Amino acid sequence: MDGHKEFYDQYAQSQEKSVVNKMQQKYWKTKQTLIKVTGKKEDEHVVASDADLDAKLELFHSIQRTCMELLKAIELYQKRICFLSQEENELGKFLRSQGSQDKTRAGKMMQATGKALCFSSQQRLALRTPLSRLYQEVETFRYRAISDTWLTVNRMEQYRTEYRGALLWMKDVSQELDPDLFKQMEKFRKVQAQVRHAKLNFDKLKTDVCQKVDLLGASRCNLLSHVLTTYQTTKLVCTCLCYI
Amino acid sequence: IKIIVIGKWRLGVGKSCLLLQFTDKRFQPVHDLTIGVEFGARMITIDGKQIKLQIWDTAGQESFRSITRSYYRGAAGALLVYDITRRDTFNHLTTWLEDARQHSNSNMVIMLIGNKSDLESRREVKKEEGEAFAREHGLIFMETSAKTASNVEEAFINTAKEIYEKIQEGVFDINNEANGIKIGPQHAATNATLAGSQGGQQAGGGCC
Ligand SMILES: Nc1nc2c(ncn2[C@@H]2O[C@H](COP(=O)(O)OP(=O)(O)OP(=O)(O)O)[C@@H](O)[C@H]2O)c(=O)[nH]1
Ligand SMILES: [Mg+2]
Repeated sequence: MDGHKEFYDQYAQSQEKSVVNKMQQKYWKTKQTLIKVTGKKEDEHVVASDADLDAKLELFHSIQRTCMELLKAIELYQKRICFLSQEENELGKFLRSQGSQDKTRAGKMMQATGKALCFSSQQRLALRTPLSRLYQEVETFRYRAISDTWLTVNRMEQYRTEYRGALLWMKDVSQELDPDLFKQMEKFRKVQAQVRHAKLNFDKLKTDVCQKVDLLGASRCNLLSHVLTTYQTTKLVCTCLCYI
Repeated sequence: IKIIVIGKWRLGVGKSCLLLQFTDKRFQPVHDLTIGVEFGARMITIDGKQIKLQIWDTAGQESFRSITRSYYRGAAGALLVYDITRRDTFNHLTTWLEDARQHSNSNMVIMLIGNKSDLESRREVKKEEGEAFAREHGLIFMETSAKTASNVEEAFINTAKEIYEKIQEGVFDINNEANGIKIGPQHAATNATLAGSQGGQQAGGGCC
């Protein structure tokens, strides 16, 4: 049985370059692509066997999405801080000038409050430094790490289509199969070699994607906890000073 | 007679090993994932008649499941294989059995196989549980080891015998090739092909 298998495999490999084979391979790949883009129902068992991969992809997309959202939020936050700081400063100045005209105790208090407000508005602006650092880091993360993973995901999807196409092909030739008929077996071995090859490629990329996504998630955690610490310290200092 | 060997997906339950042991009397310790299906054949003698068993060893991985379904057609018997050291392979039996019954000849002889009986220390499924499952679903049951060859001959040959008896009783129409039985060219001898396909954790039976 093994001898035969080897013979057939070799035979199938030599055939691999043949034009007909290439055409058929293309045909089944295209067919799979069509199924995918038209949203036609795919083989449930094939889909189920990729469940772990699809969960990782889901995670990847959520990392991608939330990074974008985080960037937008930081931008908005920066703007608001500027506004708030300006308003605070204005109010502080106003209180100070009003207080200097008022010679009663109330005037003194107004002056003191105004001073505190001006000070706090300065401190608030200090938050912008760690925030813009956060922005830059997340942006770099997005350009480097996310887009790198994205490339791997795309390559994986190519191989996935190829593999599923090959499976469709195998299913097709399996409808009529008689190991005693040489012609049919020849054809089957050819397709089997194709499936084996496509599976090898796909499985490798599948592992790559899963590892990369895990790494991506971990390094984002790392990055955030790092940069946010600086932010938090500055924020604390700011809050404390404001209350003094 | 065509016999198919089927079994649950994920890491092998030993379908290919069973076939290799039966046809070549060898054991292969490295797991070589089956892609789609592999074939094996052996001549046996029942009742003084030469019978050729044609065995289809199906892939157990889930992605091949829809493909393996097309191999049930025309099988006279099936070996449904699980791994006694992994309970999950036993728990999936019902689904596989349903699958087999749905896509095959209703007379197909099904033999339930608990494989890897040599790994007694790592056993997770008791022999009694296998027996009970077989009784409940009207299957023949055996524990085998593809490693030590224990009960491997018996599993295939008993399946073939069962099929042979069914032929004698006239349950199988031997003129209908869809039953997985072909009469050989010599009028005296019955040439039967037993085809078994193994997929995942179930092994399919055989027919002659
Ligand atoms: N100890 C022991 N190991 C076994 C036995 N049968 C199979 N194995 C081991 O189990 C692994 C899988 O065996 P295979 O026969 O390739 O499994 P399979 O069911 O054909 O797997 P698929 O083709 O993926 O469906 C191999 O590493 C074998 O060495 C057995 O009876 N005893
Ligand atoms: Mg196998």
